[in-house]
Amino acid sequence: MADIESYESALGAIPGSHPYPRTSRYHDAEIGIHRQEDGTEVRYTKRRLLPPLDAQETQEHVVGAGERPDLLAQRFFGDPGQWWRIADANPVLDPEELTDEAGRVVDIPSAGGMPRGDRRV
Amino acid sequence: MSEQPVGQGPVHITLLMGPKLARPVPAEVTEALLSAQITATAGERSGFQIAFDLTKTGIINQRLLPEGFFDPKTRIIVTVSVRGTPDVLFDGLVVRQEVGASNQPGHSTLTVTGEDLTLLMDLEERTARYPNLPPSERVLAILRRYSDYGIRPDVYAEKIAQPPHQDLRVHYQTGTDLQYVTDLARANGYTFYLEPGPNPGQSSARWGPEVRLGIRQHALNVNMDANTTVDQLTFAYDGTAREEPQARWQDPGTRQSTLLPQPPISPLRPPLGRRPTPALRRRTLSGTAKQQREQAEAELLARAAVSADVVSGSGSLDVNRHGYILQPRQLVGVRGSGRAYDGDYYVKSVTHNLRPGSFQQNFTLSREGLEARSDYVRP
Repeated sequence: MADIESYESALGAIPGSHPYPRTSRYHDAEIGIHRQEDGTEVRYTKRRLLPPLDAQETQEHVVGAGERPDLLAQRFFGDPGQWWRIADANPVLDPEELTDEAGRVVDIPSAGGMPRGDRRV
Repeated sequence: MSEQPVGQGPVHITLLMGPKLARPVPAEVTEALLSAQITATAGERSGFQIAFDLTKTGIINQRLLPEGFFDPKTRIIVTVSVRGTPDVLFDGLVVRQEVGASNQPGHSTLTVTGEDLTLLMDLEERTARYPNLPPSERVLAILRRYSDYGIRPDVYAEKIAQPPHQDLRVHYQTGTDLQYVTDLARANGYTFYLEPGPNPGQSSARWGPEVRLGIRQHALNVNMDANTTVDQLTFAYDGTAREEPQARWQDPGTRQSTLLPQPPISPLRPPLGRRPTPALRRRTLSGTAKQQREQAEAELLARAAVSADVVSGSGSLDVNRHGYILQPRQLVGVRGSGRAYDGDYYVKSVTHNLRPGSFQQNFTLSREGLEARSDYVRP
């Protein structure tokens, strides 16, 4: 029994075998399995669909000079890594678009809210 | 966090209340919140206690309390978002309320106590028969009655299959649904609990083995200077906690009674420590002779697995410094406590203590032996 490799390291080499952490935007994305012609299985993260736009409460913010998405996330959520929530709420493809022009009004999700989409455990 | 405007700190709490469909509470109720304490334990019922400030002319005292907003059986859902990541902490029902009226202004409080949604299953006693259903199907049949509260069954097949024989025995339920489901879980070495989330108003009822596989939560660091996240952590190693149960089973055909072989518990509980503790005690299970053989084997496995956890740890952490909510009933790594006690642990229970300006968690950990199995923990 002592020589069984622990589960963590046994699966550590397979990409996509672990769920993403809760802070990640891919946490709720589905993990797909692609079977290659020679029978090997490749795991991949399926395309992530944005939650519906009108589903969560937002507040408006007027972009000032020198602001960046990560600075906004630090200011409103307390974590710079959560900038993608702001990008999701205003749908933009390139996060730079959010703040490259001072005076633009962006929607910021209210910090305590739950995004209404299909969340998986 | 000096540049943050007032009220925009990294932890946000949201309360939802209502008779069956919970809705966000009025802003005055959230402002009156003094403290919230939520306890979640593996295999047991979760509970909460929330204290509100009860001012004489406030909306709670004047309108909400007399109108029955805090009455028993009101549903209450607590969600907390830490650094933008939301999480449902609790979904349950109010059981009792206490009003402490004080002569000192500002010291009157309303305290609401309650339990999670398994309370619904514990309200009425029921007698029902389940002919030809194995234990997991019986649990599914019971859980189906509670789907209108958003309870989703998460039921696993039992480890030792117990094919039912209608002509030999029909399983019969007396007592409440919760008692019966918990008894079935205990007889198979499983746990039964409700896990709230992922969205408010949903919860999954897990009837299965404890989650001792998969990804670990962010590690608890102790005694690591600036990287320390845990305020204090104590470990206890109880050598007599583990016992080796023995069961005899009698063959009804030949009247021969045999000692059942000791089952390996690793399918139910994958080992977390490198050096498992030997069992010092030996106990004989009673009543296994007349059961079906599979049932006796399942009970033997369950007893062996339940007593296997001899190392337990307890401590407290500050969520703001740790950065994540420690979730109960999952695995977590510990580092900095020395070679014997480092490594992965199962989080047995967590108590969340929320007050304006602070979010503390008290937790207990457990595993079955000393020394880590792996050379590293997930940071």
